[in-house]
Amino acid sequence: MNTHPELSDLLGLYVMGVLEPDEEREVEEHLEGCPACRDEARDLRLVHERLADLANMEETPPRELRDRVLTEIPGRRMRRFPLVAAAAAVLCAFVVLGVLFSTGFFAPEEVASADLKATDLAPGAGGEIQLYGSGDNMDVRLEAWGMPPCKADEYYELWFVGDEERVSGGSFTVGPSGRVQVDLNAPRLAGAYPQVGVTKETSPGPPGASDNKMLGGELHKL
Amino acid sequence: MRDVSDEVLVRRVAQSDDERAMSELYDRYAGLVYGAGVRYLGDRALAEDLVQDVFTAIWRGAGGFDPQRASFVTWVYRITRNRATDLIRRRRARVRTVGGDASFEPGEDDLTGELSRSFDLASALSRLSPVHREVLTLAYFQGLSQSEISRRTHTPLGTVKSRTTAALRALRESMTEDG
Repeated sequence: MNTHPELSDLLGLYVMGVLEPDEEREVEEHLEGCPACRDEARDLRLVHERLADLANMEETPPRELRDRVLTEIPGRRMRRFPLVAAAAAVLCAFVVLGVLFSTGFFAPEEVASADLKATDLAPGAGGEIQLYGSGDNMDVRLEAWGMPPCKADEYYELWFVGDEERVSGGSFTVGPSGRVQVDLNAPRLAGAYPQVGVTKETSPGPPGASDNKMLGGELHKL
Repeated sequence: MRDVSDEVLVRRVAQSDDERAMSELYDRYAGLVYGAGVRYLGDRALAEDLVQDVFTAIWRGAGGFDPQRASFVTWVYRITRNRATDLIRRRRARVRTVGGDASFEPGEDDLTGELSRSFDLASALSRLSPVHREVLTLAYFQGLSQSEISRRTHTPLGTVKSRTTAALRALRESMTEDG
């Protein structure tokens, strides 16, 4: 229990460094002879430093971001739609989408593919990838099987490999089944590289590829 | 609205799509999420994506938030960590030259270390009484002097001073609740 109510009230301001010089001197003289207040000042200083760090981390986001987030939250309008109207709209949308899908309207153009063969590190494993799209980024669909399941700190990474450089196609994990089907993405230039590979990585780890190559294959342009 | 707890606000969002409640939550935590994004993603555009992702997830997931299991801020932290990790992995799709410079790339350690501590502190701050939270927010996050806080809150200067120390003590206690 603190027995110096007036000085005690100043301890927070003391550690914040906002006291007037005469008040600060008074507190410091008191602290020299009062271990209890010294201990409390030390504790409050830690709280002050943490708060200062937090304040330093916070940044005011751009004003237009607030408008965008609060007015364009996806699904907001749908949630406010009357239930019957929403159900009717969803039914119509399914019908239209079904027709469009069945005619291949939405099918992205496949631009390259590869069969993935196992290395000695993953005997019995295999996989395939297809690359789709025509923009700056390609969609990459990867399917693999027989893969050793990932431990908590492990993940797999897909690489597109050229003569002197490689491009990451993204990372994924594999569960106990050893099977995975995942949609990734990669820069368009990755489709021009001749080879692909899948390595096992550990997190945290260096940003480059490890030597643990599990799958590999030749990329064929279509 | 400023005196309403985070947990009550998120319940209003879940039960009645309360836009004012959502705005208040944004105003309380967008700066923290954005700042975390700038620091750990190293890119303001990605940090904006992070804010958008996180608050969209809050809006959509408000109905599933259980205040018995975690504070709102802890929930926001988990969403932020997961979304930031997704953004980091997506960014790894960029070209890397073999043997090239290992430019700074935040790792998941960063996301679970300092980021976790920052959100823990924000969580502790959110549990303070409104008057204690207000005086610390004005002093630390808006940079107001004690005199300015006195004028802003129409509170005698002496009261502001003693309240500031009391608020720091209360925050210390609230932090120990988190272990």
